[in-house]
Amino acid sequence: MTQTASHPLIEQWAKDFRDQPDPSGPDWLQQLRENAVADFVSAGLPGRKTEAWKYTPLRVLEQRAPQAGWLRKAPGAGDCFPEPVIGKEALTVDFLNGQLFGKLPQTAEGLELLSLADGLEAFGQQCQELIPAINTSGTGRMFAALNTAFLQQGLVIRVGRQANAGSLLLRWAFDGEGTSRLGNVRIVILLEEGAQLELIEQFESADDSAGSLNLITQVELAEDSSLTHTRIMSESDEAVILTSTEVQQFAKSTYQYNGFDLGGGLVRHELSSRLAGTGAMAGFDGAFVLDRKRHVDNHISVDHAAPGCSSSQFFRGVLGGRSRGVFNGKALIRPGADESSVRQSNANLLLSGLAEIDTKPELEIYADEVEASHGATVGQLDEEAVFYLRSRGLSDAMARRLLTGAFCHAVTDRLANRGLAAQLSALIDEVMPRSQIGEEPTE
Amino acid sequence: MLEIKNLHATVGGKPILKGLDLKIASGEIHAVMGPNGAGKSTLGNVIAGRDGYEVTAGEVIYQGKNLLELEPEERACEGVFLAFQYPVEIPGVNNTYFLRAALNAQRKYRGQPELDSMQFLKLVREKLEILHISDDLLHRAVNEGFSGGEKKRNEIFQMAVLEPSLAILDETDSGLDIDALRLVAKGVNRLRSADRSMIVVTHYQRLLDYIVPDAVHVLSDGKIVASGDAKLALKLEDEGYSWLEDGGIKAVAG
Repeated sequence: MTQTASHPLIEQWAKDFRDQPDPSGPDWLQQLRENAVADFVSAGLPGRKTEAWKYTPLRVLEQRAPQAGWLRKAPGAGDCFPEPVIGKEALTVDFLNGQLFGKLPQTAEGLELLSLADGLEAFGQQCQELIPAINTSGTGRMFAALNTAFLQQGLVIRVGRQANAGSLLLRWAFDGEGTSRLGNVRIVILLEEGAQLELIEQFESADDSAGSLNLITQVELAEDSSLTHTRIMSESDEAVILTSTEVQQFAKSTYQYNGFDLGGGLVRHELSSRLAGTGAMAGFDGAFVLDRKRHVDNHISVDHAAPGCSSSQFFRGVLGGRSRGVFNGKALIRPGADESSVRQSNANLLLSGLAEIDTKPELEIYADEVEASHGATVGQLDEEAVFYLRSRGLSDAMARRLLTGAFCHAVTDRLANRGLAAQLSALIDEVMPRSQIGEEPTE
Repeated sequence: MLEIKNLHATVGGKPILKGLDLKIASGEIHAVMGPNGAGKSTLGNVIAGRDGYEVTAGEVIYQGKNLLELEPEERACEGVFLAFQYPVEIPGVNNTYFLRAALNAQRKYRGQPELDSMQFLKLVREKLEILHISDDLLHRAVNEGFSGGEKKRNEIFQMAVLEPSLAILDETDSGLDIDALRLVAKGVNRLRSADRSMIVVTHYQRLLDYIVPDAVHVLSDGKIVASGDAKLALKLEDEGYSWLEDGGIKAVAG
């Protein structure tokens, strides 16, 4: 085990920690960072023997060996940000190479947006409880430890009691500067009683830069509050995006995740929710469309710790080329979490004989009167359906494209935001692996 | 319109059609009847170009062209339409979207301008009215959750929109109750025209009470063994298929 700790990348990051400018923040945070460094150094880089990472090799990151510290220098021009997916008027916060970019926008009453540093002062008590709650020990948690060690950049989003904050867009982009760095960012989202927010994250850079990001999002949803969290991944084939989202839910709160992984070279999302109050609901929906050598891993874990809660996982994957997808959906129903409802579904279409999907639903039930269903399928396109469409005049390629698109539209059909759903359906059709559905790669 | 000469076809290496001859003039409706396993559905699938149906001898000449050389979509664009015995459910693909894409693919092939959504909707409304079908069908995914009758009516509706020159109705009556059968037959009769030929493949005579054919053929063991006018169907109804000793028939229609 001591050998893993001497991995050059780990050594480099430990050095980056010592070399970085003195980070600001309260004493408890300084201590937390120090402990986290010790954690990631002793943990070592996750590999094939690390259960939660065994299907997701980190070779790209090892080869690139990005620095983990944050830069004090002024960020770039910011001309690499894409058009906002929900329109120019949208309330937008930008991150460039993993650092807040530009001024935070003015917000209406009920919504507060603060840099992490300011948030730590304004909401010290809450942050001091929440931030250390991230588990940083063990090899499977190495990136959580790394993120905590370099905790400096980030955002606190807070929605007050009964306020409907509407939509907030976070744009993540990278320019040439980002290639040599791994951005460690922490987002804290606090929704008070009855608060509502739609958070949309757009990962897209104008040029095909090779950014790397290690993002942790911590969400606390008070009673009756509701967060819709939509993530649109349109990064380049070179990008490495690792995210971990941990949600704590109180009674009758709702968390709805909608992930669209349509880009990115190595993408991993850890998504977890603890349903701690009666009647809470957590939904995890996602579609991934993969081609070439792209890799997407979704690791979901729902902890039913209170009675009468419901959770669902609904993922669709389309894989072409030599791409690889990983889906791991876990649900734990603790003793006493009676009358819970759990639904899991992951269906995948393999368009190429060289593509691979590893899918694993896991249900652990220790309570009574639980309604549970799960299913995972891997298949090819229904040739009967292809022939049916061709017999009406559609070309083989059109038929296959229509059917693969429809397969993913099952996810966009579930989105409450219909305008965004239409855009995403079109985006999905655009990124379909054309070569495998009988079309030339370029039109 | 269509001439089939000495057609031999195998499915999974097993000979099914063994020298089938059939000639259909423009505007005619021909019924092809026969016991289970005679090759009725194979005939439709070979004409439409389904994978897995291998033609080992013979030819199919449609409007002077060798149909067997064309891809399924090219046959459709040339005006061939197969009403499926088991229409396929396609979740996530809207019926209207699909049909417009199909019609426009055919129009493009024929060098006609494509229809925009307004023009298409107008056309669709006309056809729905002719066939007395509610427009609820338009908003649903192709055949998904449709009853047996709805699926068959959707086939006829597609035929009405695509306006083929040659339509093969493959056991369109199977699984239908008498009311649904009447509705489907009424739709088909509406689509009869001087420049449209149809092959009505059926096991039972019942459908032919409503769609009166110009000719009836009996298919047995991969060949046409008897041909006649509409009265031949009545004889089959009375006597079953057992009288076709020459065809080597063992099965008897129920």
